[in-house]
Amino acid sequence: MSAVIDQRDSAQESAPAPAPLRWGAPPRPSWEEEPSKPGLAGKGIALVLACLGILFPLWIVVVTSLQSKKTIDAAGGLVVIPKEITFIAYQELLSGGQVQRATLVSLGVTLVGTLFSMSVSVLCAYGLSRSGSLGHRWILMLLLATMFFGAGLIPTYLLVQALGLTDTYLALILPSAVSVFNILVLRSFFMGISPELIDSARIDGAGDWRILFTIVLPLSRAVLAVISLFYAVGYWSAWFNASIYLSDQNMMPLQNVMIQLVQKQERPVGLATQVNTGQISSLALQMAVMVLALLPVAVLSPFVQRHFKKGMLTGAIKG
Amino acid sequence: MTPNSVSTPSRRSFLASTAVVTAAVAGGMPLLAACGGGQEGRKEGTTSGKDAAKILPAFAAQSVVTPDLPAKNGSTAGFTKAIAPADLKTSVAKKLGSGGRLTVMAPFWGTPPAGSNPYYQAMNKAIGVEVTWQNQDGVTYDQKLGAVLASSDIPDVVVVPAWNLTGRIPSAINAKFADLGPYLSGDKVKDYPNLAAVPTDAWQRAIFGGQLRAIPMPASNVTNIAPFYRKDLFDKKGYSLPKSPDEFLAWAKEATDAKSKVWACDDMKWSAFNFFGALSGGDKALWWNLEDGKLINRIETDQYLEALEWTRKLYAAHVVHPDAISGKAGGDAGNRFTAGQCLVYNQDLSAWYGKTSEQRTQKNDFEMGAFDIFGPDGGDPTLWAVQPASIFTFVSKKASKQQIKDLLAVANFCAAPFGTTERMLTMYGVEGADYDLKKGLPVKSTQGVNEVNGAFDYTGDPAPFTAYTDLPDITRSIVEWQQRMGAFTKKSSFYGLTITEPTRWANLADDFEQLEDDVVRGRKKISDVQQAVSDWKSKGGDELRDWYKKLLDDNGSAAK
Amino acid sequence: MAHSTVPRSRAEAATRKATAKGPADRRRAPGRPGKVSLRLRFKRDRTLILMTLPAVLLLLLFNYIPILGNVVAFQDYDPYLSDNGFIAMLQSPWVGFEQFQRIFADSAFWHAVQNTFVLFFLQLVLFFPIPILLALLINSLIRPRVRAVAQAIMYLPHFFSWVLVVTVFQQVFGGAGIIAQTLAQHGHGGFDVMTDPEIFKYLVTLQSVWKDAGWGIIVFLAALSSVPNDLYEAAAMDGANRWRRIWHITLPALRPVIALLLVLRVGDALTVGFEQLLLQRQAVGPDASEVLDTYVWWNGIRNQDFSYAAAAGLVKGVVGLSLVLVANKVAHLMGEQGVYKK
Repeated sequence: MSAVIDQRDSAQESAPAPAPLRWGAPPRPSWEEEPSKPGLAGKGIALVLACLGILFPLWIVVVTSLQSKKTIDAAGGLVVIPKEITFIAYQELLSGGQVQRATLVSLGVTLVGTLFSMSVSVLCAYGLSRSGSLGHRWILMLLLATMFFGAGLIPTYLLVQALGLTDTYLALILPSAVSVFNILVLRSFFMGISPELIDSARIDGAGDWRILFTIVLPLSRAVLAVISLFYAVGYWSAWFNASIYLSDQNMMPLQNVMIQLVQKQERPVGLATQVNTGQISSLALQMAVMVLALLPVAVLSPFVQRHFKKGMLTGAIKG
Repeated sequence: MTPNSVSTPSRRSFLASTAVVTAAVAGGMPLLAACGGGQEGRKEGTTSGKDAAKILPAFAAQSVVTPDLPAKNGSTAGFTKAIAPADLKTSVAKKLGSGGRLTVMAPFWGTPPAGSNPYYQAMNKAIGVEVTWQNQDGVTYDQKLGAVLASSDIPDVVVVPAWNLTGRIPSAINAKFADLGPYLSGDKVKDYPNLAAVPTDAWQRAIFGGQLRAIPMPASNVTNIAPFYRKDLFDKKGYSLPKSPDEFLAWAKEATDAKSKVWACDDMKWSAFNFFGALSGGDKALWWNLEDGKLINRIETDQYLEALEWTRKLYAAHVVHPDAISGKAGGDAGNRFTAGQCLVYNQDLSAWYGKTSEQRTQKNDFEMGAFDIFGPDGGDPTLWAVQPASIFTFVSKKASKQQIKDLLAVANFCAAPFGTTERMLTMYGVEGADYDLKKGLPVKSTQGVNEVNGAFDYTGDPAPFTAYTDLPDITRSIVEWQQRMGAFTKKSSFYGLTITEPTRWANLADDFEQLEDDVVRGRKKISDVQQAVSDWKSKGGDELRDWYKKLLDDNGSAAK
Repeated sequence: MAHSTVPRSRAEAATRKATAKGPADRRRAPGRPGKVSLRLRFKRDRTLILMTLPAVLLLLLFNYIPILGNVVAFQDYDPYLSDNGFIAMLQSPWVGFEQFQRIFADSAFWHAVQNTFVLFFLQLVLFFPIPILLALLINSLIRPRVRAVAQAIMYLPHFFSWVLVVTVFQQVFGGAGIIAQTLAQHGHGGFDVMTDPEIFKYLVTLQSVWKDAGWGIIVFLAALSSVPNDLYEAAAMDGANRWRRIWHITLPALRPVIALLLVLRVGDALTVGFEQLLLQRQAVGPDASEVLDTYVWWNGIRNQDFSYAAAAGLVKGVVGLSLVLVANKVAHLMGEQGVYKK
């Protein structure tokens, strides 16, 4: 190993310092060739196409959320070319105490739920990552089977009710706390950690808890970030459980409130006794809900990407 | 690859799309047709004739208020003028509530207000009952209902719309909900004068398993689907209203200009059934009619096939908006209509007010009207009555007698006719907080729009009425349209009855709606429908016919 | 802690892998062949089993107990026979395999199965590789800002609801949409991709790619970022150019993850979409759009026919589990772990 390090250091010293690239890029490692022009062009085109394909509909969504009812009516649907910018849809969504409350509920459930799920999942994944351990096959089969056989709504509801969880926040966390898919991914990454590391620690007398916390977890930052993201997104966007297990409007999480708000505009007038103000297009509301739903992604993305740096040094070298 | 940790059955087992369900609810017809015939209940069949007369409440029309447009031919009663507060009458002389508590579970489309808002408090005070609302999301209501009823702990009062009467729910109703007969049958209803004014047709619908179990939400029995047209655009282009299906087709070809993004119409299937006089497609029981001593089913009639064929011609002529071909994926037909991209579309009558009122605020030239329904050759149409009540409110068997009486107190209050103080409170809330009077018309404040959201629509309603006092011309148009169409409306053999079909045949006719959609879009042929009908006959349709015939012979028809 | 070494070349890595002694091997005291006693294994693995307990208990409680409710597949279940749905399970009549017969006798069921498999294979070929390619693409970008922006953009469609996705597609590809209008202006009328039953399967796959491919890159990016830079460097020193490095280092690093996800995807073969297909059912007709999940919903759940839905669920589960076992075996034959090792 040391030989390799020496070689790299000397290589860096002897080569001329590469010119700093634009966009704050780190200098290209000396062992990487310069990209070929067609290669660069090919990559660029693919990237641009992929992004355009996504950005165009996103544009439509954002634009439509900012249009007045008149414009949307005239267009008969989604708007491509904006005629104005008005925030009434967002005002409608964000004003009123319901949304503030619901956001807090969602945040709370997501944070607590993700922590809980991650703890349980990481433990389970590590417990299953040493092949040949006792009962390992059986437990794995147990987990796997739940991915294929689901339960009907009535038995699940009756169970949750029997446990006294209806109308509590726990009903939003416990029934869906464990995702076997996530555990399997974690396990796969844990198993990929070099066995020599673990064995030498074991020889040094470390128990499984020590190994988990001092070796496995620090080396698994990427996958931990990923699975946390998956769980967080799952909790944040879930709304069915709240719909079924909660009956107090004050406890509703954000997704439910958003859906209700959209339905309010679309409400069959025949059943409503309210005067329809008709100022806001329900389509604009739906689009605004979409945009607001994307904000957490925009916020979380930088956090997650910190763990995806190219060629992060994992593996052997520890200071 | 969607590794999110949402519980699997929920993700798979329902429709999260609001567009689908709200279209269904607003459209009325399509969703009602989609509800499968009820599964076998504890008591399958129905109750009518002499047995019913014993348990139905005695009818006593209300004499408190006189509508500007009295109900005629089964229409709603119309109120075109707002009534000044000083002139409001009282229909509930004495507070009937005992001060007790009731939990009510009802579907809700929109945002339920927070529990103890001023409007709810005012209503509770006026009625004398502490109502705790469990407003459940309308989208998942059927599943929640199914699950809640299976548990031993159900709310005191549960609202069940007719389209949720599928599967085993009817047996749940008979098993879990109380008989209201001892409180309402015959002259007992006189304790609740507003409930006595609810039409007997509607009460008949509330008989489940041989007992009067529910408070019905009455509705007009005239078809609720109207063919609307853009009056302003018709006038501008000089179109005259078509008077027959052939004229319509000819006009449609002339009016369509795909390049300018204008198509003549949207999906017209439901109007087509009306034009050609096919039996009503809503409730399953309405599919049958006695003709020449034999019961025939809607799908066996020529009118049904003719209606499909005509609709198919419309699609084939490319006069139908392309988004309509995509059905639910194509979005809201109402948006296409207001945009002027389609000139005719069919929708529930209430859209007349809904669309007009929202467009009036836009200050444009939008004007809409409704065709009079014409007959297959341009003459008078044959229309079939729809059910006179389709939403029911039940009380749990575990509720105490006092609680049942409390619910009736709530229902009596909410069934107050238009023009009373009770109705004013129920519809508009507290003056000053929820609404203000502007030029004599009540206008809801923001607080009012949020709070007064229609929750109390589900616990009692008066005889059907239309009272859009801010748009009296629309109110008049709606009522008069209903009166004209009502004149041509006939009642089929099982009109007004709530019938629970036996389990084994419950899903027999399920595929017809899909088949209809396929045929009109040209994916299947009329001969495929005929084939499906004969399959239906051999797989149980004929036995179902015999079953219904026996029902008719035993009970007699409620249709008068 | 210093002893690990990084293989200098692929050959070295391969040899090392072949001769590596797994932890289980190491645990046997040298010179003692044969099985280790159960007690010893329990003592050794006690902590590991303990660690799996919370997850197992949660699954037992919230998954397995309700799954027992699937016994209604063999009944004519009426949840309202008694006061409580559980007791009603005991009281409902038993009908043996009648529900299953109902399912298998229905030609619409088999048609739905056919559609399901067709869509599955299409998605396997056209959808599954894309996240991998995109992940490789993103991984090869050096400039962090470009990477960050590209990634963020790619994640977004995953958060769109299917209603929105279909609406957007309708606005672009529908008969009154942008493309149709442009074509109509130039005399080519009648363009409507959204209602064509023939190409519906490709449309569905395209929609899935658009919505979820970007999200799928996350797992692969995590795998790629776990490859230490030294490996690339060493290979470069050995004279491997860019393509050989990808072939010998990058792809092998991805192989375990790809194998795992592929096996799971195969196990999930019978679930090819639900909301997306239900939304477009009217547009193309059930012949083109009915898959197992929509079939079960339409015929069972919509009518609150729980026995029927449970029976269909059991069929799906048995088939799915079998598929996973087969796929895992195949993965073993190709030298990969798959979901679990032999």
